[in-house]
Amino acid sequence: MKVLVAVKRVVDYNVKIRVKADQTGVDLNNVKMSMNPFDEIGVEEALRMKEAGSVEEIVAVSIGVQQCQETIRTALAMGADRGILVKTEQELEPLHVAKIMAALIAEEQPDVVILGKQAIDDDCNQTGQMLAALMDWPQGTFASKIELADGKANVTREVDGGLQTLTLDLPMVVTTDLRLNEPRYASLPNIMKAKKKPIDEKTPEELGVDTAPRLTTLKVEDPPARQAGVKVEDVADLVDKLRNEAGVI
Amino acid sequence: MDFALTPEQQMIYDYGSKLAQSYDHKHWLEKARAHEFPREMWQRAAEDGFCGLMVPEEYGGGGLGLLEMALLLEGMADHGVPLLMYVVGPTMALGHISKHGSDQQKSRYLPDACAGKTLFCFAITEPTAGSNSMRINSVAKPDGNRFKLSGNKVFITGVDVCDYAVVVARTTPHDQVQRKTDGFTLFIVDLKAKGVDYHAIDMSIVAPEEQFTMFFDEVDLGPEDVIGEVGDGFNTLFDLLNPERVTVAALSCGIGRFAVNKAAEYASERVVFDGPIGAYQGVQHPLAVAKTQLEMASLMTRQAAWQYDNGEQAGPAANMAKYAAAEAGIMGVEASLQAHGGNGFTHEYGIYDLYSMVRLMRTAPINRELILNYIGERVLGMPRSY
Repeated sequence: MKVLVAVKRVVDYNVKIRVKADQTGVDLNNVKMSMNPFDEIGVEEALRMKEAGSVEEIVAVSIGVQQCQETIRTALAMGADRGILVKTEQELEPLHVAKIMAALIAEEQPDVVILGKQAIDDDCNQTGQMLAALMDWPQGTFASKIELADGKANVTREVDGGLQTLTLDLPMVVTTDLRLNEPRYASLPNIMKAKKKPIDEKTPEELGVDTAPRLTTLKVEDPPARQAGVKVEDVADLVDKLRNEAGVI
Repeated sequence: MDFALTPEQQMIYDYGSKLAQSYDHKHWLEKARAHEFPREMWQRAAEDGFCGLMVPEEYGGGGLGLLEMALLLEGMADHGVPLLMYVVGPTMALGHISKHGSDQQKSRYLPDACAGKTLFCFAITEPTAGSNSMRINSVAKPDGNRFKLSGNKVFITGVDVCDYAVVVARTTPHDQVQRKTDGFTLFIVDLKAKGVDYHAIDMSIVAPEEQFTMFFDEVDLGPEDVIGEVGDGFNTLFDLLNPERVTVAALSCGIGRFAVNKAAEYASERVVFDGPIGAYQGVQHPLAVAKTQLEMASLMTRQAAWQYDNGEQAGPAANMAKYAAAEAGIMGVEASLQAHGGNGFTHEYGIYDLYSMVRLMRTAPINRELILNYIGERVLGMPRSY
């Protein structure tokens, strides 16, 4: 079996982001970039499938600027076998990404496609679902457990109010949730091996995907600053404040 | 000139920074206050291949150099986890055995050390010699083709958690040699051997590693324990001491950066009058100066490591890097403390806890004054004072 795993280059989760002065977006100058944490979980899950003997090859895909190659290298250093960089300077929307992934699926014929449930930069949470729809494949989103057996997969999903387990036919699309696994760090031998692993470069045009924007960003603003809290004396005080000041009860 | 790290070097730095987030500064500080070695963290890094970073691949290592080791330590220390054991063990002892040890020594010691099963420390300083290593009195007296090692060592890092020490001794006493650099020999000493004893020194430094006094009483050593040639130890000694200076510089830069970053974050949020205190130039500028000094020292550290790895004369850069990094590290912690106000002295913020270690870097492993002598005499060619 072959797994295609998507890895997005995003602002590192430790960075305190700043909105650009002209309000056109987030300032990415001199900001540390890393692999989207949900995608790290995706790579880890693919590695565990390979270590369990159910997967032969893991292909890591990143879409974006040249530096996305570093994100692919990180996936290769974790243990993925090869990479594909779809290079574009253009800002992409979830539908573009889903279409590019679909075009790659047509070339690569994977059995499982793993994506993060969302990327921590735009928090869209759309690409996996769109991709499954475009492919007309089953989807297991927000996965906290994946078991492969006999050409099927049992995917446990984190849903409101509990866990839901679905049985999916392969090929399928899975999106990862936080509790699926704890990703490993790249070991030194694997970091050195990653150097020799191939990364293919393609463009959206070569894949026949139109990436013209469908959305226009009007303005990006900081969320309103949180007001300082107050300490309440007792329950009566709390109830009084909720009723008369906040007006919520 | 290309200052960019290779993707592999960047990933090695990133590994250090990630390790320091799993076993974070709080964990380090708890261990440092209790003087307890963070063995679990050590083991994790060993299993991921980083203890043997400088060891050749055929002996279970990564086959990389001092630059990569310095980057790993910077990655850790930048995030508040400076480990002295990495200097004395994986850098000095394992680096030296890899470079100058016999094939037999390499296969006997290196694979286990790379796997984290055994640990090494390094012993040169003596109570009666101090900074004057020429005068060390530990003597390994030839006895047939074997040796009897007797003498004392002091301020030896981490002996209690180690299995072996690389020990610098004289096989000819200093008053019987023609040149004072003659007669040095390096040995691998099993710390469980008969005649080896050690005691912790009650230090006032907040660090997980303790410092020890060691006593050798007629310790039996054989030719298989000699690293390199008998009597020729001085010629390879700087392959130990320059990497020590470079990695200590990396740690100093890291401690300083960690403290400065903490302060920048704190001062950007702390409001006392109108707006955050970080907007006051009296708070901002000392941090900006320290940051500049730290980045300059870090560049020099990388240069020294690169020179060492490329077989160039690394002494001047290694000494200057260690001097600059210790001073910049102290400046960074000092500026951070001042920016934190009273909070800097609390256990909760833990800034003052960094001070003892970063201040130590001005004194050890070689003090500021001796480095300045070296730069004055050896680099600038001025007359010797001693």
